[in-house]
Amino acid sequence: MNRIFIILFLFATLTACNQKPVPSEIRNEKPDIFPDYTEVTIPENIAPLNFRVNDEYSAIDAVIEGRNKEVIHVQDKKFISIPAGKWTQMLTNSKGDSLRITVSIEQQGKWIQFAPFSVHVSETPADYGLVYRLIAPGYEVYSKMGIYQRNLSNFDQSPIVENTLIPGSCVNCHSFRQSDPKEMSLHIRGKLGGTVLMTDGKISLLNTKTEKTISNFVYPYWHPSGNYIAYSVNNTNQGFHATKEKRVEVVDGASDVVVYDIKNNRAISNELLMQNSMFETFPSFSPDGKTLYFCSSASRKMPEEYNQVRYNLCSISFNPEDGTFGDRIDTLFHATALNKSVTFPRPSPDGRFILFTLIDYGNFSIWHKEADLYLFDVQTGNSRPIVEVNSDDTESYHSWATNSRWFVFSSRRIDGLYTRPYLAYIGENGIARKPFLLPQENPDFYLNMMQSFNIPEFITGKVEIDPNDIEKIVLENKGKQVENLKLQ
Amino acid sequence: MKIFSIDKLLSLTFGVIVFLFFAFVYPFHLNYQEQYQMFLFTADYFFQLMEKPGGFSDYMGNFFTQFFFYSWVGAIVIVSMLTLLQRAVWSVSRRMGANPLFVPLTFIPSLLYWGMLCDENYLFGGVAAMLLVAFWIRAYTLFDSIPLRISFFLISIPVLYWLAGGAFLLLPLFAISREITARKIKNLYLVLLAFACILLSVAFPILSKTYFLQYPMQQVWIGANYYRFPVNIPIAAGVIGILIVYIPFLIRFLSDKFQPKKTTFILSIQLFVLIVGGSVFISRSSDMEKEEVMAYDFNVRMRKWDRVIKLADQKSPSGPLSVTCLNLALAKQELLADRMFHYYQNGVGGLLPDFTRDYTIPTIAGEVYYHLGFVNTAQRYAFEAMEALPDYQKSVRSVKRLAETNLINGNYAVAGKYLHLLQQTFYYRGWAKQALQTMKDEKLIEQHSEWGWLRQCRTKEDFLFSEAEKDMMLGILFMQNKTNRMAYEYLMAYTLLSKDLKHFWQYFPLGESLNYKSIPVSYQETLIYIWGMSNNDPTQDIPYPVNPAIKQRFQAYQNISRQSNPESNLRAEFSDSYWYYHQFRNN
Repeated sequence: MNRIFIILFLFATLTACNQKPVPSEIRNEKPDIFPDYTEVTIPENIAPLNFRVNDEYSAIDAVIEGRNKEVIHVQDKKFISIPAGKWTQMLTNSKGDSLRITVSIEQQGKWIQFAPFSVHVSETPADYGLVYRLIAPGYEVYSKMGIYQRNLSNFDQSPIVENTLIPGSCVNCHSFRQSDPKEMSLHIRGKLGGTVLMTDGKISLLNTKTEKTISNFVYPYWHPSGNYIAYSVNNTNQGFHATKEKRVEVVDGASDVVVYDIKNNRAISNELLMQNSMFETFPSFSPDGKTLYFCSSASRKMPEEYNQVRYNLCSISFNPEDGTFGDRIDTLFHATALNKSVTFPRPSPDGRFILFTLIDYGNFSIWHKEADLYLFDVQTGNSRPIVEVNSDDTESYHSWATNSRWFVFSSRRIDGLYTRPYLAYIGENGIARKPFLLPQENPDFYLNMMQSFNIPEFITGKVEIDPNDIEKIVLENKGKQVENLKLQ
Repeated sequence: MKIFSIDKLLSLTFGVIVFLFFAFVYPFHLNYQEQYQMFLFTADYFFQLMEKPGGFSDYMGNFFTQFFFYSWVGAIVIVSMLTLLQRAVWSVSRRMGANPLFVPLTFIPSLLYWGMLCDENYLFGGVAAMLLVAFWIRAYTLFDSIPLRISFFLISIPVLYWLAGGAFLLLPLFAISREITARKIKNLYLVLLAFACILLSVAFPILSKTYFLQYPMQQVWIGANYYRFPVNIPIAAGVIGILIVYIPFLIRFLSDKFQPKKTTFILSIQLFVLIVGGSVFISRSSDMEKEEVMAYDFNVRMRKWDRVIKLADQKSPSGPLSVTCLNLALAKQELLADRMFHYYQNGVGGLLPDFTRDYTIPTIAGEVYYHLGFVNTAQRYAFEAMEALPDYQKSVRSVKRLAETNLINGNYAVAGKYLHLLQQTFYYRGWAKQALQTMKDEKLIEQHSEWGWLRQCRTKEDFLFSEAEKDMMLGILFMQNKTNRMAYEYLMAYTLLSKDLKHFWQYFPLGESLNYKSIPVSYQETLIYIWGMSNNDPTQDIPYPVNPAIKQRFQAYQNISRQSNPESNLRAEFSDSYWYYHQFRNN
């Protein structure tokens, strides 16, 4: 009898822990949660949005209601950790609808319930995952870093390549052909290194410095055909500010744009893309592959006039059949007329928009607090700041999902220094919804993390690459030399 | 004295000697170690280290290293670990039938590791790995049953590899040697066992590398961080490991060979060799010049300015970084302008060292920039020093400084992030908690004796840092806040040390706003020196109030300097003057 009583008591106690609390106080305001997932739009293939309330409490409770009265109830002492299976099911069932989340916290033995908030589940999924570099937001010296991939539908992150593989090296500038995980390039810098190129899953190493180019290949963008990669070549230096408002200034003393012809292993360019009187950088191809977008500024004496360099958004036609360029440059967005500067033009895969970053001067937007995302409408030629996603702090690098309905961007809005990836839905009309921070299993993940998420890029599947193969080709130091520049 | 208690007595004596050495002779090496890691009491930190072989040893090493903040606690930790290592070797030897007469031999691995720890780049994770393996070997010897013993050690290979890294090899080495000498297993089985051992030992590192470790094969094998630079092969640690394995065999052999007739003699010989050899070895392993720099740096870090000056008074610093620390301490005590030439000066490099991509110089140079009010530069140097750590650790000292600089700059969110991390440490928790409280109230920061003052010192005029134009930057800094005496004195010291008398003369009047009671000694010396060079009668008409005693001293200096080969005479009497520095120091 006693045993039955104990079992019943334990059962009652355990289930009581998970009972919906009876609030002593109901507040009209929504909870102040971290990450801020209130009223955001999410894709159905996103990991659970675990969160905590920015207040002190002894327990936290959340009731998540989906379509068809589906309910997930979570209670914990630290933060809301939503069961993955139930979450996935709920998102699948609630596509095109909103979740209603009611949060309560327990303070001094009393439950306080906040006004419920909504999370809209889009009918349009995002791509499989993201690839980003994790690196401390430092100056010149770097410690451990790596390029990692993250499955969006869960919390799995795995390294693609880490710089521990080749001591003293730096890994950067990963890029994919239209988010295809089988077509990738990245750079390994250091005593040993080069540009690692993966085409159809096979890797090779390139030595990209040629006699006629000022540097190795730097900022990449794949041609949709997979036959070319546009690169900038940059003579880059850094300066360090004295006042509290700024930290680092990254400047180009010279820069050009070239296109790497993969099949023929040669760099090609055009006099219009390599003018001494101009700085050209950040190339990207239009989705039809017939236009090359890039940023262009009148050259200045560097570093003295670093704050007078301003880039416009320009384009030049490109013929992918024979790798030739047009004979004129069009200026699509006159940033200089606004006393501003454009960086990272990224056309949407449907060709309708170009997403770019606008800053006061220069091209290294991550160190510019004023950096905001802008949307250029290719059809109308109009552009506007995407106020729906911008913050008072830096918004910088960005990448489109293959369906053009999602984009990921890096922002420093949490603490002003450590860059974090945000995802946002954007409609066909170019109106974006409130973005959300990439979910993590523990919401305090970002608080403890001493690295930035650098260059977030969508991928449509897992990158299958053996880091040992990368190590092998780099250590062999037998990179294929890119043939000298062919100037048209 | 009974022979059976000699081992404990020797262990105790060894422990006391090691403690005295690290607590009183070599304490600042321990403080130095502590600052270049940040042990966090979090599960994330544990799992992060456990991701690679030897991670557990590194975790334990880092755990113990955090206590090096107080060198005497660090000394106790080292004593405990080294003594435990010796006891483990002795225990294994005893198990194998050793005669207590040969106990001094079991001190050799610990003694050698003591010497290794005198090198600041040998990390404590290596000691933890060795200790772990030594205990594992001891555990192995506990099994009398052959099948149990073999099963234990075969299962132990992957476990020990992950816990202790490459040191795991010592276990199969010991086991195979033991089984060969014991002759209780048939030769065929022995060969099979050796083969299985080799297979397992080779397979696990290779499999780890193939499937999930992104490190060079060498590091996958070594595993634990024995040395701060992971690309280096810790050969010395390997030698010690082999000694841990084979000393019990040696003792067993000696015990069988020598019957205890002349016990006192044999023991005395061993102790004599151990003491004399050990003394020579430790003395050669120690680097007292580095200890001096570390002493200066630690006292600067702790803001014990008077102790820095006291160190210099006891022995004038000779290394450039010690000079940097001394100059900073003199400036903080408002003595720089009066006394800087009382000590050796190595030019402007001793004032504001140039940036290098390592973790030592930027840490020390960053202190100077911080106290001057170059908050952004101090921040950069702290960040860079941390990132330069070759073993990829985070530096608790750098994180603390980053919290301070961000707090001063009003970047509270990121300051809060660093303070949150520091709250998860042992020694810095209280400080971080207090800083978080201060951060909540802007007035408290303004009133804070250091942060409030540095806020006032920061430049409002933006410019890009230039290594080649430090004097210009100092000038801008001072002109923004004309009460920043340290900026003025560093500017003047810069001109003095670079022998730029023209700019000294030009900048000198800027100090009027500081309301000196009298012109500092080195400035008076320089003024009269410049006046003397540009006028026939240096004692007349100098437009600044130079003390008559200094005038007379200058006259004496000039008289001697007119003699042939005057340097030795001048050095004897005037090496503390700017005149001597200007004329004879070639930096």
